[in-house]
This record gives sequence, structure tokens and C-alpha cells, in this order.
Amino acid sequence: MSDRTTPIRGNPGWAGETGEFGHLTEEDVRGVTYVGARPVEGGAPGACSSYPYQIAARHPEAVLFEGAYAKRLEKIRSRYPTSRGALLPVLNLAQEIHGHLSPEDMARVAEVLDLPPALVRGVATFYTMYNNRPVGRYLIQVCTNVACNLCGADDVAAAFLDATATETGEISSDGLFTVIEAECLGACGFPTAVQINERYFENVTAKDVPRILDRLRDEALNAAGAD
Amino acid sequence: MAYPYRHEKETRILSAHFGEPDARTLAGWRKRGGYEALKKALAMSPADVIEEVKSSGLRGRGGAGFPTGVKWSFMPKDESRQPHYLLVNADESEPGAFKDRELCRWTPHQLIEGALIGAHAIRARHVYIYMRGEFFEPAQIVAHAIEEAYAAGIAGDDVMGSGTAIDITLHLGAGAYICGEETALMNSLEGRRGQPRIKPPFPAAVGAFGQPTTINNVETLCAIPHIIMRGGEWYRSFGTEKSPGTKLFNMSGHLVRRGNYEFPLGFNLKELIYDVCGGIRDGRSLKAVIPGGSSVPILHADEIDIALDYESVAKAGSMLGTASVIVMDDRTNMVKQVRRIVDFYTHESCGQCTPCREGTSWLGRIMRRIENGQGRPEDLDTLTSLGRNMVGTTICVLSDSAAAPVLSSIEKFRDEYETLIRSAESAAVAV
Repeated sequence: MSDRTTPIRGNPGWAGETGEFGHLTEEDVRGVTYVGARPVEGGAPGACSSYPYQIAARHPEAVLFEGAYAKRLEKIRSRYPTSRGALLPVLNLAQEIHGHLSPEDMARVAEVLDLPPALVRGVATFYTMYNNRPVGRYLIQVCTNVACNLCGADDVAAAFLDATATETGEISSDGLFTVIEAECLGACGFPTAVQINERYFENVTAKDVPRILDRLRDEALNAAGAD
Repeated sequence: MAYPYRHEKETRILSAHFGEPDARTLAGWRKRGGYEALKKALAMSPADVIEEVKSSGLRGRGGAGFPTGVKWSFMPKDESRQPHYLLVNADESEPGAFKDRELCRWTPHQLIEGALIGAHAIRARHVYIYMRGEFFEPAQIVAHAIEEAYAAGIAGDDVMGSGTAIDITLHLGAGAYICGEETALMNSLEGRRGQPRIKPPFPAAVGAFGQPTTINNVETLCAIPHIIMRGGEWYRSFGTEKSPGTKLFNMSGHLVRRGNYEFPLGFNLKELIYDVCGGIRDGRSLKAVIPGGSSVPILHADEIDIALDYESVAKAGSMLGTASVIVMDDRTNMVKQVRRIVDFYTHESCGQCTPCREGTSWLGRIMRRIENGQGRPEDLDTLTSLGRNMVGTTICVLSDSAAAPVLSSIEKFRDEYETLIRSAESAAVAV
């Protein structure tokens, strides 16, 4: 890890202030042993093989629910007594594949679950984690609700927008970042909480923003090198 | 130990193993006595398990405080209406609350053990853990623990050799606060919009997928293994007569040491803020406290010498809720923060009921006008009348929750509103 992305003392890797548990590493706090992988077969069936990934796996051209994804669809359906019960996890799966839900994606979900298309659309547009248009490689969601707001969340949100040279919801010119404000993320003791794709970054101040973006750029570069 | 700070006066039962990565694994959990309570419960009849929980006096930790054993006893006592479902409410999203995330990410097996005991008690064959979609990291940790439980024969067709079959599925939500309301949660699980249902019928009669269902909060279920192991009487030795046991207090806002702390119910709020959490940051003074999450009435700084149990907080004119304490210092712009809370409810209103759908939006627009120095003299009366019309007029209490901070802040911090409105008037005169 380069110097510019060295974690802050007491807040390893922005996994949140460790307080009296200063011996804990970022890996310890996040439980990295379990977190982060995106197995194409979906991993644990007890979790419906479906997580609400908010950006695409690197198969944006993949056809929905073919190959390994067809197996995952079946795993999901096996966990619910009705076809409709599988709707949210299947929408999660569609978004994992394409990164957002287009009208065509929703229609395909309706088809495989044998549900009316209007019903699927009604559900998909109700929930905020379904993107109705593409987002950057890193979707940065800054909690600006009361507990974080008291501790400077508005400044953090402004700093992310400023440093990525975007307006709320836009994709940055390098394709890497989309910044939006989020409602309470349930990490009120660690303000400001910011969700970046699957990870939470906590105790974030406006001052931390350039270093967090540097870290994400490094990660994107390293991933590109590995491809 | 509560996380990330500890205090010598804490009673650490649910939080005893926070901050110990090893406790997340099945081996680590067993080393700490895990799954002994499940073994014990499986040897008891469902009725005896329910009696033990009833005798503990445990009350639901999701905010409403309904006695857990009584809730379980509403379920059919026989197999005639199978399948029964147990739904675990891990949709934590009340602003101020951050306890269930800690329980899930540090002690996933504590939750699974409590859920399996609950399933045995209500004869449920399938447990769905409904977790908010944003909790991706805790979800992966819990999913891993579920797989470990299946592999070890703790979940599945023959739970610990008892002959009982209980499945566990982790179900991830997709971003909707309202799904924490139990009937909205059931609709969401069924693949519908998260819109609350009218009660009755109650979930124990007609619940998820039309079947008998019980919904319990994560923290409630995490207390169950301890109650089964050590008995209802032991649990009652903590807390007050009517609010027994320990509770995680979620401390946020302008505090020196924020975080979760575990104390018996009835612990003093003032002591919690000044002694346990080190007082107010930057040497500032206290202005206001929200004692139970954003949905409850705000307390003025001089109203905080109270015991934190369900009855005492209600007597003080607020609610214990999820025991999510949001602390505000003397620099806080009350109008702005209350407006931010109202914006949240506007965003999260499911849109079914007119008083909520329209009311939250109107409250927000009027509050924003006042905040921006364009308030009108009649605005406080309008807000008060509007807020009162939002209480008790809708299917669920989201509407009441939006009105509570507005009404209580107008009552207790009226001068702040009036100062802003007067500045608007003088600006108008100057033009």
C-alpha cells in the first residue's frame, strides 16, 4: 500500500474507529476472510446466492441468468415457497450482472419468475438500491442523516462531489465515481459513514476524502493489472 | 465488551465478545459456550421454552417493547397450520440505531442460536433473516456462519440430532426504511413493495406467505440463548421490574466516546452521557437529546436526569425505542436537524396513506422555508396542526414518527424557530 493511502491511526482502512480495540486491523473489523469475494456461482446458498451488489460484476455484456447465473437463479428459487418471494434476490442478481436495472432487465426478470412486468417494475422502482441508470465503478453513498449530519456529513458529501468534479448522481469523466447522499446507514456511532460499493468507510472527515479516492484509484488500477 | 469503548459499570452479556474476530467462527463460538443453549432448548418442549422466556420478562428490542414470550405464545400450538415462519428483523435503519449491525458482524452465531431456539419454540420450519441490503459486510459474515451451521448439522434437516428440521435463509433488502415495520417486512419478503398491512389479522394468524409468523428483532433473539442457559429469574436480576434485562445503548452525536454500551435497563441517561461517554465533545455544553432514535420526541438538556427504561422515558414525555441516544451540543441548529429528520421520513414514506405521504412532504417544505429565513408568522401553527393530524391517522407509525420531532422541537426550542421567522419578517420589511 502506498504512503498516500496509509490508514489513519485508530481507524484502520476507514473500517471505523477502533477505540480501545486498537490492536484490530482493517481485516479484523471488516471480517475480510468472509467479505468481498464475488464468486460467480454466488457462494453461500443460505444467503440466497444473491447480494445486492450495487455495481456490475465485470461481465456487463453477459446475458441475464445463463450459465452459472441460471444455477444461481434456481438456488434462489429453492429458498422461497412462491415464485414472487424470489423477486428481490433475483433483482439483486440482475443488478449484479448489469450494474443497473434497465426496462429490458426488469422484463426478463418478470419472464423468468412468471410475474406481470408491471408488477416487477413497481417493485424495482420502490427500493432505492436498484439503480435505474448506470453508475460509476465506485458508487459513493454519503450518509447525511442526523447522527452523521451533526458531525459534519454535509462537508463530507461536498468534498466528495468537489474532488470527483461531479454533481450528485453523475458519473465522473474517468468513469470511476458516482456520489450520492444516502439515508441513515446504521453506523451512527462512526460518523460520517460512507458506503462505497460493498464496503463501509467510517469516521470519514472532509480531510480524508482525497486519500480515500486515491485508494480507490489504486484498487481500480491493481484490478486492471490483474485482468 | 461493548464496542469500541468499554466502561467498568457495563454488564456485558450480548456484547461480551464484540471486537473478537475469532468469535465469528463456529469453533470460536463453541469455545465460548456457543450452542449449549440450543442443545438445552431442543430437549425442552416448545411450551417450556416459551414459559422460560415469559418468566424472563424479555421485551422486544426493536422499539415497541412487546413481551417476547407472550408474542411467541400467540402462535398455533400444534402442527395444523404448517409451515410456520420466524422472521428475524435485521433491517436496522432508524437514524441513531447501530446495535444490530454490531451483533451481526461480531457474533453471528449468537443470532443464529437465538433464532433456532425461537424457531423451536414457535414450531417454525424456516427462519428468514431479513437484513437491510446496505449491510453487505455483516451479511457476508452471517451467511458464512449459516453455512457453518448447516455443515455442522446445527441447521437443516436434523437440528443437532433432535429430528427437528429448521432451515435458515438470509434475505437481503434493497433500501427501504419502512421494511423494518413488521408487516412491510413480510410484504417485502414476499416480493412486494414494502408497504405495511392493516392489522388485524396479526402475523401469528396470517403472516408471511399467509402462514403463522413471528417477527423478532436481532437483539431480542441474541438475548434468548442466555435466558435459556441461565434462566428467566437470572435475567430478571438485571434491569427494573417492568423492563428486565440488559440493553445495548447506541450512543451517537457530539460525544467524546461514541459507540455501543451494554447496561441493565434503568441506567441513568445523564450518567451515560457524562460518565460513560466522556461528556460533550470540544468542551461544549449539551442542548438536546433524542433518547430512542429519530422517531421519538426530543428531550431538552434539563430533562435528562432520567432512568432509561420503557416506563421512565415514557413518563418523561419521550420513548426508549431502540435506546439510540443522539446527543446534540449547544451549537446545533435545531431547525436544520429536525428538517433533516423530516426529509428522511418524506423519502421513506411508502405512499399508501395520505396524511403521511402529503404530511411529511409539507412538513419538510415549511421547515426548509423557516430554515432558509423565509418563514411566515403563521408557520408554527401550521406545522403544529399538520403534525397533530399525522398522529394516529395512518396504517403504520411512520407518520407519527415524522411528526414527533417537529412537535417536540417546536414545544421545547420554540425560540429558535421564532428567531428565524422574525429575521424573515425584518428582511421583508427592509425590502
